[in-house]
Amino acid sequence: MKGLALATVVTALGIGIFTLPDVAAAQRESPLPVASRMHPDSSTAPLQEPPGGKYKKVSTLVPLPDFIPGLGTLYVDPATLPAGPFLAYDHQGHLVSSIYMIPLKDMNAQKAFSGLKIAHAPADHVDIVYNAGHPGVAEPHYHITVWYVSAQRAAQLAK
Amino acid sequence: MTSGSRREFLKAGGLVLTGLGIAPLFGTRLLASPGPKLIEMRSDALGSRVWFDPIGLYVQPGTTVRWIARENVHTTTAYHPKNDHHSLRIPDGAAPWDSGFLIKPGATFDVTLTVPGVYDYYCMPHEAAGMVGRIVVGKGTGPGSQPFGYWVGNPGTDGWHRVPDAARAAFPSVARILAERVVHPIGGQR
Repeated sequence: MKGLALATVVTALGIGIFTLPDVAAAQRESPLPVASRMHPDSSTAPLQEPPGGKYKKVSTLVPLPDFIPGLGTLYVDPATLPAGPFLAYDHQGHLVSSIYMIPLKDMNAQKAFSGLKIAHAPADHVDIVYNAGHPGVAEPHYHITVWYVSAQRAAQLAK
Repeated sequence: MTSGSRREFLKAGGLVLTGLGIAPLFGTRLLASPGPKLIEMRSDALGSRVWFDPIGLYVQPGTTVRWIARENVHTTTAYHPKNDHHSLRIPDGAAPWDSGFLIKPGATFDVTLTVPGVYDYYCMPHEAAGMVGRIVVGKGTGPGSQPFGYWVGNPGTDGWHRVPDAARAAFPSVARILAERVVHPIGGQR
């Protein structure tokens, strides 16, 4: 389990290695420097909701509110469940985090999750938090959250 | 639960309206007196800990129980094969219930329990984490008073789900509920 957790975190922190398809397309099409285009705090061209592609708003897939306090508005490619990534957006529609949801039973079974996608955005910090379950992942699991915003901004998602 | 088709219909109407947070016109009349017994559906801010409070409750037959969602997203769902093949842990002849997801804080769901016996229920997304509760109506009898695996090998039980270990560990005993009437989770949390 330790090995898996480490591998998962390393994967989650593998910023720049895996690129969301739509992000990659945006990069190709935009003349702006990568940092200003992709950083969610950027006022020039932040990653905006909705992400498009195969990503669906979670609230349209399972009975959850559009905006989940503490997380934001979530999108996921259903084919990637349960791990994700779930893309989280703040009230202004800016990307704030990528969340990976790893069931405890998979950790205990030493299941590997590799090649998980991540946005091309500078990560500020990572939270690894136990969750008892919710619609969509109705079993105990961990949220591994790669935040693209400061802890102070993340705290503003509480409401 | 209450018998009689009209009353069932009225009660069901009250349940739906209450669950949607709309003025429970039917429910108000049905719940006129005495007031419902309240069970809170709780969670910490991170969603790491979830629980019913009280987790154990004794009531007289005919009592209406009201669940209210305080935080997070929850259901109150009876242990019954009609609810996703869960094992039968409410009295024979009692109608199962399933609130569906109560998404908004303050959303409620009411059930009137008339058949005596033990009623075990769970929260759909949190059962595996041990979010369950037990109500004893009048006397501690029926399938809910039996060991969790009582049905194994019995005809007609193919496909029933076993109660998860965390849920088994969370239920207060029937004896404790009969003795204390109201059992709260330790420290307000499980």
